[in-house]
Parts: sequence; structure tokens; C-alpha cells
Amino acid sequence: MSQPPGRLRPETDDHDTGGFFAAAAREELAVCACAACGAVLHLPRAYCARCGSWDTVWRTVAGRGRLYSWTTVEHQVHRSFPVPYTIVLVELDDAPEARLVGYLPGRPELTAGMAMRVWFEPVDDEGTLLPQWIPEPETEGA
Amino acid sequence: MSSAADRDRCAISGIGATEFSSDSGRSALSLATEAALAAIADAGLTSVDVDGIVRCDLDAVAHNDLAEALGLPDLTYWGTSGPGGAAPGGMIGQAVGAIRSGQANAVLAFRALNGRSGARFGQAGSGPGSGAGSGGGRRVGGGGKYDEFFAPYGLVAPGHLFSLLARRHMIEFGTTEEHLGHIALACRARANANPAAQMRDRSLTMEEYLGARMISSPLRLFDYCLETDGACAVVVTSRERAGDGPHPPALIRAVAQSAGPEPQVGFLYPTLMRKSLTTQTSKSLAETLYRRAGLGPDDVDVAQFYDCFTITVLLQLEDYGFCAKGEGGPFAASGAIDKGGSLPINTSGGHLSEGYLHGLNHVVEGVRQIRGTSTSQVPGAEVCLVTSALPVTTSGLILRRP
Repeated sequence: MSQPPGRLRPETDDHDTGGFFAAAAREELAVCACAACGAVLHLPRAYCARCGSWDTVWRTVAGRGRLYSWTTVEHQVHRSFPVPYTIVLVELDDAPEARLVGYLPGRPELTAGMAMRVWFEPVDDEGTLLPQWIPEPETEGA
Repeated sequence: MSSAADRDRCAISGIGATEFSSDSGRSALSLATEAALAAIADAGLTSVDVDGIVRCDLDAVAHNDLAEALGLPDLTYWGTSGPGGAAPGGMIGQAVGAIRSGQANAVLAFRALNGRSGARFGQAGSGPGSGAGSGGGRRVGGGGKYDEFFAPYGLVAPGHLFSLLARRHMIEFGTTEEHLGHIALACRARANANPAAQMRDRSLTMEEYLGARMISSPLRLFDYCLETDGACAVVVTSRERAGDGPHPPALIRAVAQSAGPEPQVGFLYPTLMRKSLTTQTSKSLAETLYRRAGLGPDDVDVAQFYDCFTITVLLQLEDYGFCAKGEGGPFAASGAIDKGGSLPINTSGGHLSEGYLHGLNHVVEGVRQIRGTSTSQVPGAEVCLVTSALPVTTSGLILRRP
């Protein structure tokens, strides 16, 4: 899963989104949710328009999801991303309101709705971990 | 533009454009000035008559830049719309609002860019990283941008987003690459008849479309629009004043903007969080626009759909009610969108084959259809739909013959 040096890293100390990357640094996947009514607030933000609460929590969710869409990029537009590579869009099993993006090298064989599993990729030596997604291995003996 | 009383009260009386090229060798301000002068003259006016300017938020040219370049004696109204390609319908709406409220008499709407020789899409963050010594590259996102959820994964260009939308449409409805190809071919055929189009001399067959290199699956080379240097401008006045000009006025039947029920934070990529990726802001926009116009899809004779990519058109064919949701592919393949079809589209060639002027060339071509001067004129066209970019927000207008 190697990528070239100098790749883009996420800003991890934003007021509204920092908790997502703080959880990732612990190898946990978390979504922002309203503490009052439970609504998932993804992408993360401070106010729940559904119930009017300013009280939010980071809810740990299972690192599993389903492949919602994908594209294999064949034409390079950014120096940090040599082609081919594949961008996946994953719908979370525990919070279907939330979708997360992932990077796969090359041109993997993918099918809509396939099971995906999270892993956490170090992207620097400062402890920044980036949630990534790979197809769930076939169940052994199945 | 909120009630029937506003219908047809203002008009586009002048249109102008520069050459569309891949290297203008000129500044954006120079391009904007040329297009503006052409539009003002086309309206039968002179620069001293212009007292309003509306622009796109991504334009390098500010309202005062153009006012100075044109020698305007006193600009009393200006406004900015966007984001990006969603601007044109909103710009026309601002012009109408300014005229109806007495803040201006003649408003210039323009878009100028060196879209090929200057700044290009997808290059953000390509410079030297600021993360030296950290083992990592530049940090992206934060500050309300939300790019931290997208750019680190290589989701860095609008085409990547639209490829995800196209794949999803294929998953949900069985849409095919050939379906998208019919949209590319229709736009190319119209460009082949348009001497001003960048692709005027280059025909396109389905075999060539399918044989072209993949850019970001499932979108190939000809699913992507052009990158263009150039400028377009239009002049908006009251219906009465437009009637004094040398050309038949293109009445502005209605204008609308829409951010839809799930506006989303940030810009562009966060729209991937919407419940549906295959019904877009164009759906809610269409409802508002048709209601304001007192018209429906059956009344539209010709349409200029914003076409940054072929899939953008396919989504709008459905969202604007010309076919059922999911039927955009078969509808495009049926010949309906071609010359002589029930809904000829993008009669100048659109972004895919005329040039990428961020939706304002669609407004210019809409006026030509109403005047009867298009190079792919739809006989007897009385009502033209013109749309602007999705998915972040969108805007649109309906033009009508007096």
C-alpha cells in the first residue's frame, strides 16, 4: 500500500473535524453525532439542526461498510497521486448516513455493495493515521 | 423573480463573446472587455448606458476592473454569484432584481477565464509540501474546507467526483457508457456546425468515443469538457428598453437558484454525503423554476444544459422532468436530444465541444435560439431552458420569445 512521499495529509486540529482524526490516531473510527437526539452529523459540525442541540459526541463505529461507488483514475492531475489508483466511496454499516472515502492502488476488481473493512495508514512520523478501506477478505472455507 | 408578476419583465438584449482558444495570449480582463463591448454594441447601447455588473465568484476580473476598462461613468450596482459554474442563472437573477428594484437600468453579466493556459482544475496542493521533516506532505483541509476527508485520498478534481456519480447511476439504473456517449456525440455534432466552437472541425463517432482513453472510470476523454480561454457577456435590461434594441429581446421568463434539501458543508466533494447521488440540486431547482415560469418540461423547445461532463447532462434530463429518474440514458440514446429530436440540447456544442465558459456560453446560445440565429437553430423555438452547474448548488433560467 505504498504511496509516493510528499503525499497530502489531513489537517487534524480543526475545531469541528479534529475529533475524527483524534479517534483515527487511536485506530478507532468515529462519527460526530448529536448527544441529544442521536442524529449523525457527518460531515462533522457543532450544531444539530434536527433538534437544536449544541451538544455533540464522537460515536465509535465498527470499521465496516459497503462499497457505494468508485472510480479508477487513469489520468494524473496531482503530483502526489501517480496513476492508476482507485478512489472508493464507502457507506458505513453502523451509520449509513455517513460515507467515507478511501484510496486503493492500481485497478482492483470491485463490485457494488461489496463488504469493505477499515485500516489505519500512517501518513507521517507525527502519528497521523488516515482511515483507509479495503475489500473484506472472502470468508475462509465458505 | 418570485411571482407571476415578474415574468417576462426583463430581457437579454445583447450578447457577446471572444474567440474560444487554448491559449489566448491575453489577460482575463482583456477578454472580459472585448466580450462586454460586443454585448453592449449588440444591445444597441454604449458603455455609458451600463450601470450594473454581475460576475462569477471564481472570475479573476472584479466588477471595478471591468468598469474601469469600459470607462463606465458610474457603476451603481454590482453583485457576485456562484460557486463557480452555478453562477450564470444567479447572475441573471441578480441583474433582474437590480433592474426591477430600480438599482440599475442596464446590467452586464460576464465570465472571462484563461481556463487552459492559466489556472487549471485539480492542481491544488501540487506545490512543494510544507511537511518537510515530518515524513509527510502538505496538510489539506481544516478551517471549514472539509478537504481533509477527500484530498488525502486522491479525490482532487471535479472529474473524480462526477465519475463517482456516473458509477452510482450505472449501479442504480443500469446506465451504460454508450448512453453517456450519445450525449458527447450530440454536443460534438452541434459544434461541428458552429464556426466558433473549439471542436468545429473534429467529428466524433461512437467507436471513437468508446475507443478514447479512460480518464477516471467510467468517464473517458470525451465525457470531459474542454478547457478554454475566452469570455462571454450578456446585457440585461427592462423589456421596454430591450425593445428599442436592434434584435428581438430574449424575455427572461423566470430565474431560480437552489441549494436543495441537503446543502452540505464545504465545496463540491462533500456533496458525496447526500442521501442520493443520482437526484441532484437540479431537481429542486426545476420545481422552483417551472413554478415561477408557469411552464413545464413539455413547454421547452430547446435546452442548454450545463455540461462539465456527460453525466451532468444525463442527471439533468431526469431532474428537469424530460424523462423519468433512471431513464436518462435510454432517453439520450433515443435521439431525443439531437437536432430534430423532441428536446435538442446544447446547440452550440456546449462545454463538451464549443468551449468551457462556465455556463455563460449556454446563456448566449439560449438567446441565439430565441432570436432564431443559432447555427443549429430549432425551427420555431419559443422557449429555451438554460441551466448552470451542479451539484453544490445550481441555478437556471427560462428564456422566451416575445
